[in-house]
This record gives sequence, structure tokens and C-alpha cells, in this order.
Amino acid sequence: MADTIEETHVSERSALDVPWVTLVLNDPVNLMSYVSYVFRSYFGYPPAEAERLMLQVHLTGRAVVATGTREEMERHVEAMHDYGLWATMGKADA
Amino acid sequence: MRAFAARDDGTVAARVKRDEALLLQNLASQVSVLLREGNANDPAVVRMLPDAYPGDPAASAEFRRYTASGLIDRKVSNADVVIVTLSSAIDSGEVLLDHVQAGAWLRCLTDIRLSLASRLGIESDDQEPDGDNVLQGLYDWLGFLQNSLVEAIDV
Repeated sequence: MADTIEETHVSERSALDVPWVTLVLNDPVNLMSYVSYVFRSYFGYPPAEAERLMLQVHLTGRAVVATGTREEMERHVEAMHDYGLWATMGKADA
Repeated sequence: MRAFAARDDGTVAARVKRDEALLLQNLASQVSVLLREGNANDPAVVRMLPDAYPGDPAASAEFRRYTASGLIDRKVSNADVVIVTLSSAIDSGEVLLDHVQAGAWLRCLTDIRLSLASRLGIESDDQEPDGDNVLQGLYDWLGFLQNSLVEAIDV
């Protein structure tokens, strides 16, 4: 019993320590100009950085566009779905 | 319908013919219906409300439970903006959008294109367009419009 409690404790702590990420995935529908616009207008990325991330999505299939707490990333993923981008989230080390 | 262009007062405008306006209104309203019906097996609905946690159906379902109704409300409201602004454009022959309306248009054009793409079976970047399909022409036209709108608002 004591072991179980100890284990739960450890896994909760590591869950807090590892940051979460928001990923935007490539899709064949969204225009490159629009994806870049979303990165500028929602995240406030400067044009060059927005363009770099957009190209990373387009060429490699995905890009990490934000890192932080699980709650923050859920808010970002919801915002990306609002724009119609294909976004998911996960642990940074996954 | 021609490309959107920026005006000096910060709005954007595009010439639109009556039949084009009616067609766009019809598409926007079809997307609203799809979202309101919310058929979880419809690929268009799945694409508009995708899984947030790949490989974790339980967490994805939980995320959807908290976010879907708000997302659907906002997407339907974007479609309403498209429909209303086109109604005023039918007589004047020109659709005129402020910054907020342009944002709603960009999102709604995306949702319409995502829905059409799922009906056309567009699944990869290097897929050959189906030249014979009337939906393909519509899809390409909406892409042209959306791209011109992004360029016109120039954020």
C-alpha cells in the first residue's frame, strides 16, 4: 500500500515537470499563406519565424508551435481548431 | 468573384456576382448544418473537430467534451457572418469586410474547404486534382479567394 502511494506521488511530480507542446500537423487543404497568417496573428510570431514554422509543417509534416503547461496547450490546440488547422498536443519528451 | 483588395480605411473588398454570393451562402450554411448535426462518423466533422491527443481516445473525448460546443458555436457564427455580409453584397455587387468580419471569413472559408476536401477525398499534398469534378473547381476557387483575403488583410 505504501509503495503504491509513493509511486503515484512520483508519477504526478514527473507529470508536472515535463512540459507539454502544441503540434501543428501538415494537411493538404490549408494554404501556406493562411498557416503563416495564423502563426503571426494568434501566436504573434514575427513574419520570418511564422514562415519558418509554416515551412517546417509543410516539409516535415509537423512543427512544435508552443511549449508550456497542459492547460495552456489545450487552449492553443482549441484556438488552432478554431482556425481550422490540424493541431494536437503531447508531452515534450514523447 | 474577384480577388479581395485592401482599401485605405482598413477594410477589404471584393466584387461578387449574385450567383456566386448565393453559392457561398449555401456552402456556409451547409457547413453550419454539418456542425450542428455533429455526426461523429462524418470525416468532414472529424476534420473540423480533430482529436487533440493522438493515440489517447479517452483524453481526446474529454477534450472534445469541453471544447466542441464552443468551437461549433464560433464556427456557426463565422458562417453567419459570411451569409450576412454576402446578403448586403448581393445588391451592391461588392462584399466589404472589416477586420473582425475578415477573420470570420478566413475561418469559414477554411471550414468549407476542409469539408469539400473530405468529400473529394483530398488526403495528401501531391495528389492529382480531379479535373472532371465540379467540386474540385469550387474548391480551387475558394482557395484563390482565401489566399487573396489573407494577402489583403496583411497582418
